[in-house]
Amino acid sequence: MNRAGSVTLVIAGFFVVWELGVRISGVPNYILPSPSEIAIELASDPLWYARHAAYTVGSCMLGFFLALALGILAAIGIVYSRVLENTLYTLLVSLNSIPKIALAPLFIIWMGTGASSKVAISMLIALFAIVIDTVLGLRSVDPDVLDLTKSMRATPFQVLWKVRFPTALPAMFAGMKVAISLALVGAIAGEFVASQVGLGYAILTAQGMFQTTRVFAAIVLLGVLGTVLFYLVNLVERWVVPWHVSQRGAGAAAH
Amino acid sequence: MGGDRARGSEPLRPDAHVCVRGLDKLYPLPKGDTVSALRNIDLDIRRGEFVSVVGPSGCGKSTLLKCIAGIADVSDGAIHVDGRLVVQPPDNMAIVFQRDILLDWRTVIDNVLFPIEIRRRRKGEWLDRARELLDLIGLAGYEQRHPWELSGGQRQRVAICRALIQEPQLLLMDEPFGALDALTRDELNLELQRLWMSTHKTVLFITHSISEAVLLSDHVVVMAAGPGRILETITVDLPRPRSLDTRETPEFGRYAKHIRGLFESLGFLKGKP
Repeated sequence: MNRAGSVTLVIAGFFVVWELGVRISGVPNYILPSPSEIAIELASDPLWYARHAAYTVGSCMLGFFLALALGILAAIGIVYSRVLENTLYTLLVSLNSIPKIALAPLFIIWMGTGASSKVAISMLIALFAIVIDTVLGLRSVDPDVLDLTKSMRATPFQVLWKVRFPTALPAMFAGMKVAISLALVGAIAGEFVASQVGLGYAILTAQGMFQTTRVFAAIVLLGVLGTVLFYLVNLVERWVVPWHVSQRGAGAAAH
Repeated sequence: MGGDRARGSEPLRPDAHVCVRGLDKLYPLPKGDTVSALRNIDLDIRRGEFVSVVGPSGCGKSTLLKCIAGIADVSDGAIHVDGRLVVQPPDNMAIVFQRDILLDWRTVIDNVLFPIEIRRRRKGEWLDRARELLDLIGLAGYEQRHPWELSGGQRQRVAICRALIQEPQLLLMDEPFGALDALTRDELNLELQRLWMSTHKTVLFITHSISEAVLLSDHVVVMAAGPGRILETITVDLPRPRSLDTRETPEFGRYAKHIRGLFESLGFLKGKP
């Protein structure tokens, strides 16, 4: 059986067991709704869900891309400057040991309850994975390759752009796959603290009114969105680094 | 530091392409001591000569190459290439390393054109030359392949093309065929000789294979380790082009035996009773 087939089977099996479990045990739906009830809830007002999902995904994506841009710049600085390595890198490591969700209320105070505070939390939470993996990637250049570029009198910028950066790409994508999921966590955390829109807000208000089915509908949606975002990064990776060992099987199949 | 010797005082030979005088290379050890990788190396390579350096591992032969290439600092002494003191990698020089170190994300042709990009020349103007080189070395039709699709021998051929496209006067080769199987190695030895005979570049060839050194070289520089130093330089007077059959001739055998004897006298080769 192919991979897509077995994945579908496992997920379908999970829902079937859930559905049967709820029906047989007779658990009330404010404790655990069945998958069919969740599907009906989602279908009852798809536009309402779409609006909230769009807001959350928007904050998440913006935060992710900001983290990507800032993270790459920071990593380049850290790799090329001993001073930045000792200051910025140390600072980032100690910052990372704080559970960043604990900082969410601060960002609401500083930036208000609008989208910017969610984007900021999302970025902050995603940033570390990008920096760590990009630094690792930029440093993984073969010393012989550096000798080669030296023998050709390459400029530092040429070494960065033509050697270090392509070498770092596989590690950077590993970081991005972690970061995209973290960015979604950040967006939801921001919405939990204070928001009038977004899936985090939808969950929180539904919970207040014991609309458990709605909570589950939003969670299912989040799961789907997180998976889609992850595979989007995966797709871009296949397209950008088809030459890497981890991608060669996939690349060969695509030829 | 052995400062009792006069450094760099001998005159440069007018026909020397590479001239090494009194070269010392020290490596620092963790406790503030130093270890001497090369001591008092004198070496002359005339324009168009093929010179091999042969020696056991750790004798500093690769370090010597890196110093001449201007990618490693020297501790004492002087290296001149084309009459100019080496303080940075000289012009008209290219290196082939033991590992091919091709860039995985580039196709074969783009790997060959890499130095053209680095040296900011127009890639378009060099495309034909790159194809010609690949053709010459038996890789026609492989232009758009990626390095991982090639065998070890093919990869090293691409690395040689990457060096040759720089049109170097001086070609430095650091055990270029050391990682290849014996058959591929023989084949590339003959191809290298053919290339050298048609272009007459100056070649400095590092190897640990005595027969490879004798087969290819005008002169074989024999080095010993601890500290790295030159034992003897042997001039190989065998007619060219040499073939694999040359290795079966008594003259070839005498050269190889002489070099082996040098190592044996130092206790590097203790195979036989």
